[in-house]
Amino acid sequence: MMQLIQNLVLGLLLGGVYALVAAGLTLIFGVMRVINIAHGAFLILAAFITYSLWSALGIDPLLAILVTTPVIFAIGWVTYKTVIAPIRTAPMASTVLLTFGLALVIEGVMGTIWGNSSTAIRPGYANESFTFAGLFMPKAQVYGGLVAVLVLLILGLILSKTWLGRAIRAAATNPASAELVGIKVAAVAALVFAIGIAAAGAGGAIVGVLYPFVAGAHYQWIARLLAIVVLGGMGSLNGAILGAVIFGVAETLTAAYVSPSWATAVPYAIVFAVLVVRPQGLMGSRLREDAVAT
Amino acid sequence: MEDDARMARNRAPESVHPARGEPPALELRDVHASYGHIHALKGVSLHVSHGEMVALIGANGAGKSTVLRTISGLLRPRGGQVLLGGSRIDHLPPHRVVALGVGQAPEGRRVFPRMTVAENLDLGSFARADRAAVEADIDRVFRLFPRLKERLRQKAGTLSGGEQQMLAIGRALMASPNVLLLDEPSMGLAPMLVESIFRTIVEINRQGTSVLLVEQNALMALGVANRGYVLESGTIVLADTADGLRNNPRVQKAYLGIA
Ligand SMILES: Nc1ncnc2c1ncn2[C@@H]1O[C@H](COP(=O)(O)OP(=O)(O)OP(=O)(O)O)[C@@H](O)[C@H]1O
Ligand SMILES: [Mg+2]
Repeated sequence: MMQLIQNLVLGLLLGGVYALVAAGLTLIFGVMRVINIAHGAFLILAAFITYSLWSALGIDPLLAILVTTPVIFAIGWVTYKTVIAPIRTAPMASTVLLTFGLALVIEGVMGTIWGNSSTAIRPGYANESFTFAGLFMPKAQVYGGLVAVLVLLILGLILSKTWLGRAIRAAATNPASAELVGIKVAAVAALVFAIGIAAAGAGGAIVGVLYPFVAGAHYQWIARLLAIVVLGGMGSLNGAILGAVIFGVAETLTAAYVSPSWATAVPYAIVFAVLVVRPQGLMGSRLREDAVAT
Repeated sequence: MEDDARMARNRAPESVHPARGEPPALELRDVHASYGHIHALKGVSLHVSHGEMVALIGANGAGKSTVLRTISGLLRPRGGQVLLGGSRIDHLPPHRVVALGVGQAPEGRRVFPRMTVAENLDLGSFARADRAAVEADIDRVFRLFPRLKERLRQKAGTLSGGEQQMLAIGRALMASPNVLLLDEPSMGLAPMLVESIFRTIVEINRQGTSVLLVEQNALMALGVANRGYVLESGTIVLADTADGLRNNPRVQKAYLGIA
């Protein structure tokens, strides 16, 4: 029983990390209908930047989020302006191709700077655990999960309480109506892309502490993130969070009770089963409001 | 018809004739617009004087909404000019056009369904910096549409069709427009509700906002407007006073159902 609770908690914490990264991906899709295949690459990039800050300057990797997130935000904004903006209205298939190319470029850059061997960020608490009432919790997972939830909460507050969040939600529901009330949808899109990438960046810093990584690891990540976002419903933030939690818990429980080698596969079976019943995902809507008009 | 007479009494005041040379509030000069290969507007010219209410009527697919889209900047005209108070706005993006004083309640009342009435209205004033005046405008919207005030915390998507139309107009008014563009405010509403919405539109116009009213319901539109244009296949085929159009046999036959 204690074992189960422990695994559930660890699964939820992992789900929190997934949720943060997937939130960025679904937000970008929701506002600009771009499937950002480079999302995982930005995540790994943030992990490498965090690694350098930690190994060269001795900055705690989780505190380094305060530095990495703004840096990744800036990279995201510049990427949007140079690469994404010109193809924003292109068919979705070409945005997939373009962001896939972007992922390969980032992978190449990372390989050049940091090499292709496995990298690990090991702060002092990496091998320590909390134990209480028979529960055994690795500190890195606890801290990482809590930081992820905190960043996600901040993101949620920005979206629900600020004028920017309102503009983002308006642009996501109906870009034309948003323009008509005076929202500069192109500028909102740039900010959303940068925010979405920054969320991946914050997640990357945490992931770097949890697992060793290589430049090529972004393939696994984008596969998992897409599965989470599709499971939750493309473009739905709450859906992405729900999908992420299901993924985190399913992976953790499978690793503990079936076999670690099945841990990555089982969640996809869940996605498949859900999509058979609900093709639009758990919380997705079938149509955007303006898809039926114009 | 009795309804008809009632609407006529509600009609907006005759427009004040501008001093010679003063540019109209809104003017289109030989505007062409297309969607890919579809040539939707083939040289449309029309104007709305200050304080005037002008109706634009026409059948499905005539290009009425396209006219509004070229004014608001959602669609860039391929040729011709759009002028606001004499200055060209045809190359400006929509958010600039709103800021210059053009409010639009789009076709099919596209409110933001998952946001509350209050949030929708607040978004209407998105482009404005004059916060104090925004407060006054929200009071104005509540006076025009008391229903909205009762439903501030309700999600817009759960409002009735009529209430959503009120919200769409209210949201456009929150931009404090000089010129209000309305795209088929009567669409899908019960006759009683249409009358009430039109009374409010007349009231908005009386308060000084120039209105370009797009309607398929020609009877109602010509009942409240000062002047009107008839659009057919992207071309203005008739332009006259509202009464002139109502008495025109061609309009009677095609748009008023009078044989
Ligand atoms: N997004 C679009 N892509 C291609 N063609 C379009 C688009 N929007 C409108 N059209 C075409 O342009 C023409 C004018 O359409 P518009 O919507 O302006 O007509 P309307 O007069 O507003 O009609 P309705 O009364 O049905 O609203 C139509 O032939 C229409 O099919
Ligand atoms: Mg139309």
